Amino acid sequence: MSFAISVDHVDKSYRLWGRRSQFATLKSALLKRDLKLAPDASVPALRDVTFAVDKGEAFGIIGRNGSGKSTLLKIITGILKPTSGRVTVVGRVAALIELGAGFHPEITGRENVYINGIMLGLSRREIEQRFDKIVDFSGIRDFIDQPVKTYSSGMYVRLGFAVAVHVDPDVLLIDEVLSVGDEEFSAKCVAKIQEMKYRGVTLVFVTHQLDQVRNLCDRALWLDHGAAVEIGDPTRVVDAYLQRVAGTQVSTVTTSDESAGERAGDPPDKEKDPMEEERWGSGEVILRRVAITDPEGRDLVALGAGSPVTIDLDVEVRVPQTDFVFGIGIYHADGTCVYGTNTDLEGLLPDALQSDGRVRFVMPSLDLIAGSYRVDAAVHTRNGRAFDYRRGCIRFVVGSRIHDIGVYRPQHDWKFDGGITFRAVDNLKRNVPAPIAEYIRSAEEKPKRRK
Amino acid sequence: MPHASLLMPLQVLYRHRQLIAALTSRDLKARYRGSILGFFWSLANPLLLLGVYTLVFTLFFPSKQVQPYPLFLFTGILPWTFFAAAVLESTTSVISNAGLIKKVMFPAEALPLVVVTSHLVHFVLALPILLLAAIAFAIHGDITLHATIALFPFVMILQTCFVAGLAMMVASASVLFRDLRDILTNLIQLGFFITPILYQIDTIGSRPLRALLRLNPMTPFVVTYQDLLFFGHLPGLADTLLMIAYAFASLSVGFVVFERLRDVLAEAI
Repeated sequence: MSFAISVDHVDKSYRLWGRRSQFATLKSALLKRDLKLAPDASVPALRDVTFAVDKGEAFGIIGRNGSGKSTLLKIITGILKPTSGRVTVVGRVAALIELGAGFHPEITGRENVYINGIMLGLSRREIEQRFDKIVDFSGIRDFIDQPVKTYSSGMYVRLGFAVAVHVDPDVLLIDEVLSVGDEEFSAKCVAKIQEMKYRGVTLVFVTHQLDQVRNLCDRALWLDHGAAVEIGDPTRVVDAYLQRVAGTQVSTVTTSDESAGERAGDPPDKEKDPMEEERWGSGEVILRRVAITDPEGRDLVALGAGSPVTIDLDVEVRVPQTDFVFGIGIYHADGTCVYGTNTDLEGLLPDALQSDGRVRFVMPSLDLIAGSYRVDAAVHTRNGRAFDYRRGCIRFVVGSRIHDIGVYRPQHDWKFDGGITFRAVDNLKRNVPAPIAEYIRSAEEKPKRRK
Repeated sequence: MPHASLLMPLQVLYRHRQLIAALTSRDLKARYRGSILGFFWSLANPLLLLGVYTLVFTLFFPSKQVQPYPLFLFTGILPWTFFAAAVLESTTSVISNAGLIKKVMFPAEALPLVVVTSHLVHFVLALPILLLAAIAFAIHGDITLHATIALFPFVMILQTCFVAGLAMMVASASVLFRDLRDILTNLIQLGFFITPILYQIDTIGSRPLRALLRLNPMTPFVVTYQDLLFFGHLPGLADTLLMIAYAFASLSVGFVVFERLRDVLAEAI
């Protein structure tokens, strides 16, 4: 896959401005063309940051205030120049750094849409074509011919966002702007961004809303004091960040039980198979074994659609906890989340996690269509700091002769009245039992164990 | 970083033509938004100015200088106002649009150019008034109109280049050196008096003073406008060459300065 953004060993230092240094900068810029900074006259904002964002990828940047997130975004946009290093961006870039930047208060919303669109790189004709879509999206058609100074800040931001997303960029950079507007508009923004992602627009977010990073991003970067701490799976990066914020050391989780397959806590590896387990967490509580079983307690790897299934979590408590949540996620092999829940979402208030035990997630009927799936299991605090997070810790295959589509097969039946009749039911097309599913699984699975 | 060449300003202008046009019309619209006469002020202002000069210099201080003095004054003062207003306003053009420079990938050079174009529009809108006044005085028999007036656009192009270069210079430099605006305000006030607007350069007795006036880059422009409209003869060769030289020198220096300061603008604002 080719990259959309490449950031190569980028350093950025800001000069410290004093009364005299401005004039000194003017002189040296004009006469010597030399803008090198003395160390005592500058503050580092980014240190040796390197990463690439693939075309069509959604990339999140997180970190505390002052960690260099916005500086990085501005360098990618081209607003700021890196002190050293190279940044390459392919395609038309639109940056939502400040919505409605450049709106002039005295002129109407309509005129501002045109000017803003031209600033973002559209031609007058392109804006004419999009004008109605922009106004509809902003939802302020009644006020479009009023001067912008009469707008509320919400209306201002709606119009700004509407223009920016209709630029049809190849790369969209978003700095902490999804949190604006009311609930309805925020939801609209997120939906629009998901639509753009679906159409292959490369997205880069800077945000403090970690949920958005988990939900929208394919990968995330955690910046701290201008340096990249972690890059990779957004859930893992967000979690590592939360661990740091909580002040606990991220440690490698070791399990005494190897039955689940690989050892956890391996450093992220670029060549890694996406179906391989990833595991992280503080290790205060451990999911020693995660298994998918039938009602008799036997391990399953393949099952027929609609079978009763239980996910067992064997819990080892190393440090007793009072704030804990157990979570389960089921994903299709293509990465689609089929279902996710946890005890907190379902209103279970934690009391005590004193000693080892077993958690059982019982599903009387797993109504999935044929395909391979993986399970994430986790135990974490209510704010999301993981004790043990096991991504893709088990895989299973659902077999079925029915070539229905989607991910979920609701229990259903066909009923016909009147003159609609069918000859017979072809029994070969009904659900297949587990042994046949096992055969399908072995045919689908490629040999890929690392160890 | 590409080296600034004489073609670059034109390239920039062409690349951002829609942006500059849109921002200019925004400036003009915003300026008159909410006023009752609206855009008519662009015509009314020079008209009223002409009225004031006629009143003052025929009733209060009848001038012994060239006649008709109000028209002479008016011919010189319009291009001067264009120059002075555009250069002065450019000093804040980048600073007051900090939001654009810091938050949007925005071609900063467009900002001083927008200031120049919007003042050029004002200048152009005042020209019909100047022409009508000239015709009125001609009918009255004070002056005779000549075809030389058709050369006005060429002088205006050269002056616009000259002003644009200066505007780029001061717009970028004043971000790092904010005192520039106050220095320029006073310099331009002085400039008004050492440019032959109120008087003719030949009427100055002292030779060194005349040489000083000749050094003022606005002198050839103002003198040429007066030559074309008021006196009805072709501009002198020296003035023509000087105008061309000033126009190109100003544009190239303006772009070089702007190029060199561009990278610090977003941080320094």
